[in-house]
Amino acid sequence: MADSKINIGIIGAGRMGITHYSIINSHPDVKIVAVADPSSIVLTMMNKYLSVKTFADYNELFDKVKPDAVLVCTPPGLHHQIIKLAAAKGVHVFSEKPFTIKAADAAELTELYSNNGLVNQVGYVNRFNDIFVKVKQLVDSNVIGKPIRFKSEMFSCTITKQDDSGTWRGAKEKGGGTLFETASHAIDLINLFFGKADKVVGASLNSVYSKNVEDAVSATFLYKTGLSGTLYVNWSDTSYRKPTNKIEIFGTGGRILADQHALKIFLNADNPSLKLKKGWNTLYITDVFRPVPFYVRGNEFTRQLYHFIDCIQKRTKVNECSFADGLKTIQVIEAIYNDFEKNGMF
Amino acid sequence: MNPIDKIVFGDNQFFGINHMSQEKAQELAERFFDIKNIFATYELAFNAGVKSVMLNSNDRAREICAYFRDNKSRYADISFYPSLPYPHKYANLISEKGILPAINEVLFTDNSTLGVLGMMAKGGMAVLGKDAIRMMKMLIDVEMNMFKGLNIKAVFLQNIITDLVLGYGVKEIFYEFCEYIRKKYNAIPGLITQNMPYLKSKLEEWGIKEVVICTSFNKIGYLMSPDIQSYIDTADRNNPSDYQLMAMSTLASGAINAREAYDFINAQKIQSVVFGASSARNIEETVKLIRI
Repeated sequence: MADSKINIGIIGAGRMGITHYSIINSHPDVKIVAVADPSSIVLTMMNKYLSVKTFADYNELFDKVKPDAVLVCTPPGLHHQIIKLAAAKGVHVFSEKPFTIKAADAAELTELYSNNGLVNQVGYVNRFNDIFVKVKQLVDSNVIGKPIRFKSEMFSCTITKQDDSGTWRGAKEKGGGTLFETASHAIDLINLFFGKADKVVGASLNSVYSKNVEDAVSATFLYKTGLSGTLYVNWSDTSYRKPTNKIEIFGTGGRILADQHALKIFLNADNPSLKLKKGWNTLYITDVFRPVPFYVRGNEFTRQLYHFIDCIQKRTKVNECSFADGLKTIQVIEAIYNDFEKNGMF
Repeated sequence: MNPIDKIVFGDNQFFGINHMSQEKAQELAERFFDIKNIFATYELAFNAGVKSVMLNSNDRAREICAYFRDNKSRYADISFYPSLPYPHKYANLISEKGILPAINEVLFTDNSTLGVLGMMAKGGMAVLGKDAIRMMKMLIDVEMNMFKGLNIKAVFLQNIITDLVLGYGVKEIFYEFCEYIRKKYNAIPGLITQNMPYLKSKLEEWGIKEVVICTSFNKIGYLMSPDIQSYIDTADRNNPSDYQLMAMSTLASGAINAREAYDFINAQKIQSVVFGASSARNIEETVKLIRI
């Protein structure tokens, strides 16, 4: 691997595919060899300005260029069939989130990749955000004692009008709705800090603008250990300029409040080893950031793709967000839908 | 290339943008929700001796531009540095509609001034979509519309777009952007980036000169890829008649105190600083501290 570049194919050239292209193209050990997308306009532009092969059909991409790895950036409803093919072809996969839209599909793919020696990663980018990395360290080192309650929220102004254009974001079977699209981030953070909940109850789904999918969701997460917490996500909140995750954790020794840019921690006692004092402590992103080689839209986006490459090059053994992690989030999402259908409908 | 202003007053503080803290951003968003507070802050900056304004083409900028246009005699000596586009507008539209329908809406549905073109392009998006350069020029015109009648010195491409296109390494987009800004708007082309050393090396390789490069530049290396030393070295070797360097995020969103921040900045070989502040004290102090 050291003497040759990793050949990458990008499947789906929408917003994320276009962003990932730019970021991964900066990696010195990577060559983007092909892009697959059904839009003839996108393919024409790529052909005109870039030296990549383009395909309207991803099947052809696998057959004709034989990539070492693919970035799957299509609407989530297509992930399962694409990644299944990637497994058959022996290709490393980075899949955008959510991993799939059915837990059974996610379980099948996780199983396929469990013993094939190939790198598998899901794009929960918050795991690479320097503030959330710090929160994880703090929780794991019991700085706030035993966690008792948490709150994980996400807000964005993604859907702010009646949705009549028929994009995939408005269709549940394609992976639309705020649960798949944005709440998956908030759920993944819960899974990262505390593991998957043993039970999900009290799910409620609201429509604000969308006809066929939810625009807001809340649910309560219960753990056998006694830990519990709530999820609240709204993708139609125009008071937020950009997507924001908020996490709050109450433990026996204090409390943590964090978003992508800052972290506040209240402690019941001094913690000299971590240089934290009794009472409020604040850490900003400027205190904890680590620079990246190339920046497009946040350090975490670069770090997540470079991590994927590190794993392929075997510089890192453990993937920070594997298919197994992606599976857990889909299982929770399915539990929320199920609880709402069973208990939340009149 | 005409020299740009040494001190430019930025606009992030007005629009709830703070890269360090979403809580601070929220406070600012609340305070500047009333546009009168924005105009009052500009007044403070002008009183402190600032003569130039960088303004992103978001919806509120439309009102701000209208105000300066309506009071042009009072602000005759003020130069404007538009930055295009407002990225979140496109991000949200793309989420709602998909990329090409989003561009279609901006060009043909949302903008009455391009009504004739809109008629022409009905069913013509497919044709236009194949010509990225023509599409880019039309998008620039749409965004620049709000700045009509103002004294424009340089026009900047926002870093999210600059750095995205830089990742693709497509010379034509940069070349055509710069030429279009020079010819159509008689202004200096500007590129905002978080990858200054790499962008500058590519521009040199492509022979694109006489450009302003605006970039995060601060003592702690925040939002400076790949690292702070590469920035210092690149600035050191730069010939300002080819590239004028403008520093932004000099305080790293408040992580560095002003004196320390500008002691560092004043020691760098840069030509301009864009800064945002909202109190008279901070504005006056910053203007005094900048000695580039």
